[in-house]
Amino acid sequence: MSDAQILDRGYRRFEGKRSGVVGAMRSVAWHTVRSILGLGRKGRHKVFPIIVLVVSFVPAVAFMALAVLIGDLMQGELRPEYWEMFGFSFVATIVFVALVAPEAIVRDRRDGMFSLYLSTPLSRPSYLFAKVLAVLSTMSLIVLGPPVLWLLGYTFQSQGPDGIVGWLSVMGRILLAGLAICTIYTAVSLGVSSLTDRRAFASIAVVFVMLGASISAGVLVNVADLSANWRILDPITGALEIAPRLFGDRGDEMRGVSTWLVLLGNAGWTALGSALLFGRYRKLAAI
Amino acid sequence: MSGFVPPVRAVRLSYGIVLRQLVTRGRIAALVLVGAVVIAIAIAVGASDGGRIDPVERGVRLISDLGFTTLLPIVALVFASAALGDMREDGTLVYLWLRPMDRWPVVVGAWLASITLSLPLTIVPLVVSAVAVDGGSELISATVLAGAIGVIAYSALFVLLGLLLKNPIVWGLGYILIWEGIVAAFGSFAAKLAIRGYTRSILTSITDVNLDLGDLSLPVGVVVPLVIAAAALALAGARLRTIDVA
Amino acid sequence: MGDWAPPTAQPAVASAPVVPDSNAIVAVTNVTKSFGDVVAVSDVTFTVGPGVTALLGPNGAGKSTLFRVMCGLTAPTRGTVRVLGADARNDRAVRGRIGLAPQQDALFDRLSARRFVEVAAKTHGVVDADTAARGVLDLVDLDADDPKVVGAFSKGMRQRVKLAAALVHEPDLLILDEPLTGLDPLQRNRMIRLFHQLGDDGKCLLVSSHVLDEVARLGSRVLVIAQGRLAATGDYRDLRGLMDDRPHRIRVAADGARVLAAALVERDLVNGVSISTDSLMIDTNDVDRFGRHIALVAKQCGVRLREVEPTDDDLESVFRYLVERR
Repeated sequence: MSDAQILDRGYRRFEGKRSGVVGAMRSVAWHTVRSILGLGRKGRHKVFPIIVLVVSFVPAVAFMALAVLIGDLMQGELRPEYWEMFGFSFVATIVFVALVAPEAIVRDRRDGMFSLYLSTPLSRPSYLFAKVLAVLSTMSLIVLGPPVLWLLGYTFQSQGPDGIVGWLSVMGRILLAGLAICTIYTAVSLGVSSLTDRRAFASIAVVFVMLGASISAGVLVNVADLSANWRILDPITGALEIAPRLFGDRGDEMRGVSTWLVLLGNAGWTALGSALLFGRYRKLAAI
Repeated sequence: MSGFVPPVRAVRLSYGIVLRQLVTRGRIAALVLVGAVVIAIAIAVGASDGGRIDPVERGVRLISDLGFTTLLPIVALVFASAALGDMREDGTLVYLWLRPMDRWPVVVGAWLASITLSLPLTIVPLVVSAVAVDGGSELISATVLAGAIGVIAYSALFVLLGLLLKNPIVWGLGYILIWEGIVAAFGSFAAKLAIRGYTRSILTSITDVNLDLGDLSLPVGVVVPLVIAAAALALAGARLRTIDVA
Repeated sequence: MGDWAPPTAQPAVASAPVVPDSNAIVAVTNVTKSFGDVVAVSDVTFTVGPGVTALLGPNGAGKSTLFRVMCGLTAPTRGTVRVLGADARNDRAVRGRIGLAPQQDALFDRLSARRFVEVAAKTHGVVDADTAARGVLDLVDLDADDPKVVGAFSKGMRQRVKLAAALVHEPDLLILDEPLTGLDPLQRNRMIRLFHQLGDDGKCLLVSSHVLDEVARLGSRVLVIAQGRLAATGDYRDLRGLMDDRPHRIRVAADGARVLAAALVERDLVNGVSISTDSLMIDTNDVDRFGRHIALVAKQCGVRLREVEPTDDDLESVFRYLVERR
């Protein structure tokens, strides 16, 4: 008779309530947001996101301070339009984007969490949707924060839009523009981040692609004197241009570009980023 | 059988090891691609007649905008922050640390290794760009000098950053884009606290083209970044002495 | 099976005695190391002389931290460490006399084994690095002419590359952090023999492990560390003796568990007993006596024994014992 015996198979069935795919997505999205912002971690993990957020809020706060101090002078020409708040700190936004997207998806691939997630009710698309959701909502902090603050500040000083309908329409357009900008940034940055397994390189790549394309388009138009239509190659200015267009206005850089072309450029970047992201993940083997 | 490793030999050893670690096909290929994009844009700029603007001025703006604000500092960041930072992170630093040699040669070797890679990957596309926009010999020599000074200073700064912080790339991007891009643009004093202010000054003082925040003299533009580099390396050496090694 | 050396209960080498401070190669005095709120090593004092000394402790006990402090890789929060008479963190010459095989699996992955060991030799100022590298690679059973990069090596091969790199400059003090992990039994035996050889040559070797069986073969002098504290130090045979005075826990499966329990208590063979349907859990101080009598007692009671199994001879329970006794 053999000595070998199995004493306990060591497996206990989970008897509690299961929250299913939606629950899994919700929890992945929430934990991603937490890890990006360093919530629940030591102070030093929060420093960088906080600095970048603060920098991006500086213009809005400064203008509000000016409005309080010299309210009357800030009327008319001097007073920025609501949509102008979107572009003031675009560099800080891009740095934030370069932090957010790689943190959201690159680490999972490197440390094997991705494979682990796929052993849960999550599939590749639902995993990615959870990540998109997390990135989108984190990014909206920095993209939507300043203009919303700006609108609220003016409203409290009774310098906001007239009437509740007017106010809602301004707020609605701000939210819509912000969401559109976030969507484009999310698609591009996640698409680029899906290319490498190193977080640091993904950050660099996001900056090179977004800022590089932006500066290159600027050089082509301003230095090489090409048509302003080349600006649609610029994912930053192109995305930001959605805001003035929603307010029936036009930004300086893309004044000569038709709204259709602006939409085309943005749709192109979004499609490119999404195709890259989903294409990469479709092929990605779970180890 | 073993003994003290003299500084020059230690520099050579550190240089060889770090260089070997930094050269990966993906990294080099990606950065060559970025350089190629810069050249393509320069060719587009050169081919356009852009009659209103003087070719030298066009060249200066191109080199400054594309080269000195993004390409050069970011390429230097990629290599220099990884030079000792990656080794510290992955636990191989101990193979250079627990050794009978001084700390500063290790830092200098790592710095030279990152310069060895950053220099050709930035200067070559920028010089080709300067040629492509027909900027003349002054623009070319200005690009080479400013580029080399920039690579030397940024590399030293980012070697230090790699020893100080856990996520040096993100902080480095923050420094390059937010500090140098936004804060330093506020005024000429803040610009003196940004390497970009000096590389621009070299560019403008050799080519006689005016650029914002490029109003320092040539000697200042050359000497200050070198002093910054020396200080950063000294700090990095001190940091390596007191660092916790995995 | 020429290489096979059966595990010996008596180590081949004389163990390192507890050395007077003047002969100590390593002297750790009241060392505490904390990372923020976490105390990894707490007020540890010991000295180590020539020969093989095993550092034994469960995962996370603080073994690696202690090694790092000894090598100067991190400064102690409190206390002092003298290695070869100096502080490795600040003394260049002493750093050249230490050979460390760190626990982490990090190597320069794109070098061949020979290049890697050569680099280690050169950075230690070894004059003929190539010859030295070939020599130690041979010692750890690796082919010096294998062109494969160490990144493509198996875990066991990487371990041996690390060992070779730690040995290449013939250091006086060898600190080997879990060097046997990932080795197959054959290699394990060869490495243990190598350690003993080096110890015989007068080198000081500190070898950590979390496997009791390995430690028994490494040498008789052990340092036992648990939860950051030095739990025991000395000859392992003496320690085993000490451990024997704690109650052993033995599971006995039998048909008439209750009857048997009563009989055992009555004959004073056990300190305590807990009963479930068809088995007993027994605590006893004297395993030998219990072992001699259990069968007889069962027979007298007409109980059929199905199984007698000690349940707490694993390392963790030993540590629990060592630490809780404080």
